Amino acid sequence: MSPVPVLECEGLTKSFGARLAVDGVGFKIAEGEVYGLLGPNGAGKTTTMKMVCGLLEPDKGTISVAGRQAIGNLEVKALIGYVPQDVALYPDLTARENLEFLARLYKLGRRTVAARVAEALELTDLTERRDDRIDSYSGGMKRRLNIAAGLLNHPKLLVLDEPTVGVDPQSRHAILERVQAFGREGLAVVYTTHYMEEAERVCDRVGIIDQDHLIAEGTRRELVAQLGEQDRIELNAAGDLEALAKACRAVEGVTNVATADNGVQIVASEGRHLLPALLEAADAAGIAVTSVEVVEPDLEAVFLHLTGTALRE
Amino acid sequence: MRTILAIARKDLRLRIRDRSAIVVGVLAPVLIAGLMSLAFSGLNSFHFTLGLVELDHGPVAAQLVKALEARQLDQVITVRSFASPALARAGIKDGELGAALVIPAGFSGSVTSQHPEALMTITSSQATVSGEVTRSIVASFAAQLNADRLAFATALAAGAPRADTAELIRRVSALRIPLQTVERPAGAHELKVISYYSPGMAIFFLLFTISYTARSFFVERSQGLVERIRAAPVRPVEILLGKAMSVLVYGVVSLGTIGVITSAAFGADWGAPLPAALVGLALVISVICLTALVIGIARTQRQAEGVASIIVFGLALLGGNFFLISGAPSAIQHLALLTPNGWAIRGFTDLATIGGGVGTVVQPVLAILAFSAIVGALAVSLARRAVSS
Repeated sequence: MSPVPVLECEGLTKSFGARLAVDGVGFKIAEGEVYGLLGPNGAGKTTTMKMVCGLLEPDKGTISVAGRQAIGNLEVKALIGYVPQDVALYPDLTARENLEFLARLYKLGRRTVAARVAEALELTDLTERRDDRIDSYSGGMKRRLNIAAGLLNHPKLLVLDEPTVGVDPQSRHAILERVQAFGREGLAVVYTTHYMEEAERVCDRVGIIDQDHLIAEGTRRELVAQLGEQDRIELNAAGDLEALAKACRAVEGVTNVATADNGVQIVASEGRHLLPALLEAADAAGIAVTSVEVVEPDLEAVFLHLTGTALRE
Repeated sequence: MRTILAIARKDLRLRIRDRSAIVVGVLAPVLIAGLMSLAFSGLNSFHFTLGLVELDHGPVAAQLVKALEARQLDQVITVRSFASPALARAGIKDGELGAALVIPAGFSGSVTSQHPEALMTITSSQATVSGEVTRSIVASFAAQLNADRLAFATALAAGAPRADTAELIRRVSALRIPLQTVERPAGAHELKVISYYSPGMAIFFLLFTISYTARSFFVERSQGLVERIRAAPVRPVEILLGKAMSVLVYGVVSLGTIGVITSAAFGADWGAPLPAALVGLALVISVICLTALVIGIARTQRQAEGVASIIVFGLALLGGNFFLISGAPSAIQHLALLTPNGWAIRGFTDLATIGGGVGTVVQPVLAILAFSAIVGALAVSLARRAVSS
């Protein structure tokens, strides 16, 4: 990590009325680092990102960008590129008009605006269609343009708020490749997601956020190491999943169980050796297990281990 | 300033790209002003043909006919004689006549009796104004006649010799029927209907900018566009000023274009360009303040549309955009002066009737700006909160 982090947050706290949205969140991001903020929906990721981007003022805590105090500091916003979760572009304007407008907000000169717009269009392979209204674009093209718009000011810090939600697999792959490239090019990136596999793939370090708190932070290796020799087991089943989870919890060696979309997820020591006992417990509970998978320790298992709930709950 | 201009330019581009801008901003007001002018043009030059069935041929009847054919009534009535009430009725049915008046045989002779013959007015359900005018003339004549009859009866009761009855009737019938006066608007020139409805409709459709701008703000906010702008080094007040500038340009161009078209095509009189521009500019400023108020009050797009509709139609009704305010009850005329559009219409009509320069519109312009200052002060803090949230 470089001596001066590109982003440094400490003790960020934000409430909306009586509801606490973010409580004491803090992390640092270095130049060229892709930092993933991983957590379920409603955990406080977007609120944290909005505070970083100056869209919300924290009740408590500090934020500094490139060593400069950021809260209420308009100039610091010029150092940040923000890519919102939904495509935030004017559908009735062309790609060029959208980009020119957004670039002008950074008070760039006319020539610089033209150069940055050309650069963004090149990056998104949309130069040929720059004069088409973007309501004629495909979803993937809009997503690409949405990200490129966040780079117009040549930021030091790029904040991507769940950029792959609702995106087709091909576009998703392209976006993830691009995010990895941003890191290689020296940009500090904050990437919020509730997709564990995305965080594992693109992020150098991950902060796990749940119920307003940052509960763990580190590289994938560091986080997985917290599990020790434990495995994650997925039991897919139909029927009363709560009853299945209860039966599994009673098996010796099981440390955490949570219901998921089509079954239960289990964290257990020596997972492979526990399979017969788990299947027996399921059978005794009257649940038919349709498939079993023992997964190497991953961020999903870490999340389950730390919170006792599956990430997609 | 660069940011404000960028936002204004973007908003104008979006506004122009939306074809409704040209319809609402120019075509609809011009069309409706033209149609209303056509529909109400009769108010300036009302005229109808009156069928007259004169069956009496006596001196009193002669006075009535003379009164109907007086020069002062030339512009309102053309008298056409018919031999019988049936023929007059047919004329009304065919639409040739607006109304008819039947003077029965023996009418002159009966005026001194206890039960004089009655004058009969035949009216049409299609031409109610013609009927009212005819009734009014007959009522006026009857009032005069009754006064004469009273004088005649009084003379007899006071001992005037019966032998002089004929002379008395001659004298009475020689008396003239009082003429009605026609009220004209104050000012050097008569106000043409088109000169009222051109600014009236232009202002009414300009008020729709409140609804359009407020709605588009909430659409932008729901699409994350306001947030994206705020993520850049832009102050909330710059966003509001950018939007205000786009409304200013759109409003001024819209009013100016309607002014030029209605003047050239329909002969509308908007007054001298400079004072008319001042009234227009003041009005657009009030529209900006009202837009900020709607953005500040509403929480959602739907709420914004609702609040804006109430404001637009409330102001248009109170301010006299749909009807000639001079013909409204005095309470309505006073209420109109609580609205910026009411003052603007007054400014434009003053320019069309009194004429003159900037001095003519000082009061309306100051009144509109005072309204804007009050609404604007209330709106700015509310709207800043809406932009920041």
